[in-house]
Amino acid sequence: MENEIIEKLTPIFRKVFKEPALEVTATLSANDVEKWDSLSHLILISTVESEFGVKFKLKELVAMKNAGDLIKLIETKLQ
Amino acid sequence: MLEFIKKSCEKFPERNSFYINDQPFSYKTLSGKISAIRLSIEETDQSETNLVGVLLHDDIETYAAVFGILFAGKGFVPINPEVPLDRNASIIEQSEIQTILASKMDAELKEYCISNNISVINSAELKETPINLELPNISDESIAYLLFTSGSTGIPKGVPIRRKNLNAFIDAFFALGYQIDENDKFLQMFELTFDLSIMSYMVPLCKGACVYTVSPEQIKYMAIYSLLEDHEITFALMVPSILSYLKPYFDDIRLEKLKYSLFCGEALYKDIAEDWKNCVPNALLQNVYGPTEATIFCLTYDINSSDSKEYNGILCIGKPMKNVEAIIVDENLKSLSSTQKGELCLYGSQNTAGYWKNPEKNKEAFFTITENGLDKIYYKTGDLAYFDENGEFLYAGRIDNQVKIDGFRVELSEIEHHAREFTKKTNAVAIAFQNNIGNTQIVLCIEKFTEGEEELMTFLKTKLPVYMIPSNVQSLDVFPLNINGKIDRKAIKKQIESTL
Repeated sequence: MENEIIEKLTPIFRKVFKEPALEVTATLSANDVEKWDSLSHLILISTVESEFGVKFKLKELVAMKNAGDLIKLIETKLQ
Repeated sequence: MLEFIKKSCEKFPERNSFYINDQPFSYKTLSGKISAIRLSIEETDQSETNLVGVLLHDDIETYAAVFGILFAGKGFVPINPEVPLDRNASIIEQSEIQTILASKMDAELKEYCISNNISVINSAELKETPINLELPNISDESIAYLLFTSGSTGIPKGVPIRRKNLNAFIDAFFALGYQIDENDKFLQMFELTFDLSIMSYMVPLCKGACVYTVSPEQIKYMAIYSLLEDHEITFALMVPSILSYLKPYFDDIRLEKLKYSLFCGEALYKDIAEDWKNCVPNALLQNVYGPTEATIFCLTYDINSSDSKEYNGILCIGKPMKNVEAIIVDENLKSLSSTQKGELCLYGSQNTAGYWKNPEKNKEAFFTITENGLDKIYYKTGDLAYFDENGEFLYAGRIDNQVKIDGFRVELSEIEHHAREFTKKTNAVAIAFQNNIGNTQIVLCIEKFTEGEEELMTFLKTKLPVYMIPSNVQSLDVFPLNINGKIDRKAIKKQIESTL
């Protein structure tokens, strides 16, 4: 499940942050990606929501510290 | 102002003054750090301008440095380590700083300081000293701080704010009748080069309240929401663009403890402000307005109910605070009557006496009106506005080529200046447009641009702060001209918008 999600997330991350070689790992966070700011974060979240057909709550997003948290969150939503 | 802060330190030693990165700092800790920094400055700094630099980090040493400098009788110049060295060097040279306080410093800046004979005081490693919060014996004409804003020539321009200006702001602020005491909790979401930060940390310290800073390491709007919710913040001054980010979640937000919710730095739209009202049911919503030149803010408007005033959807900016007079003038600087649109001009004890060593810019931005034998020097804000029959001001946009990005003033011509420097071409136009969540973004258009976008961006990043970097570069075969033969910015904007 996790790998499937990463596979689907990778092109989204690459497109949103304009980094064609970006590798999505569990520890990847805003500190590692130059273009990961408020605006790109918002675009990332809305793209993930529409691609996976899920909807996040503000509290869930606030608790999210890195890509690993996002993967877990998607996993719970899909179950 | 320092007198109030001294009182808070003496009256509330055990209460929290700051809460930074999940860590509280008491007033006692703060006054200890201020005293040590003060002594180190008094022993070291010999500058003629009496200005001392502070390298900005999200830590207690940085805030203590600001007050240490003020208690030492000097003025502070904030220096952002994230900004290209070129730009910081210009700020350091212009203000003739000889001492910089820093809790940490990168190698590049360190090297610059060594080769330019600038002393660096490590504010994190100072020895403990006896508490000394004696008020400095200096004139209130002396500079409290010097901030640099975007300049159209490519060189940042300095705005010196004197102690009397800052005191006038504090005086007028408290005259607005806010109920604030030592139990209040203030949000501090601004970079310290932005003067809205000064209100966000100085006002609470005047009352013994606590300042909650937004960590720069997190996504800003998320970090802000966390603080508001988890710590039950009671007073929050924010830029309106934060609301655009939070809007999709308004239904999830209910901040019962927020008493005052202020907005400043950009146009605040009526519809989003009214939706926000439901998230903060017990708060007084205010739209406040003011340029750095007139000290933090100087007009305020209470947003009461659905009948609040607006122009083109932008909320009213209200009436001048007690030490400020506002007028509207035409191109010939003739004062206009109510409902007539013109340039908003400000006079009063919050006004800077003029730009730092820049007589040319002063001639452009200030003018005198003699009234009953009194010479009143007005500052031209560059903002288009009018006032209604009740004397309340409505904002109608910019007169010149300036835009706001997340509340920061940006001269589009400064971006163009550096783009031309790189491309060696004449035609470069920076266009600001609203993106689909309603915030401002910049696209750089260059005529027949064939060089690498990446190289250009890399170059711009060595010259400009992050918020001024265009989100992308577009090449146009020919720039459209208007009937006067000038580059038609509006036409370019239309072309660009159709491609985005």
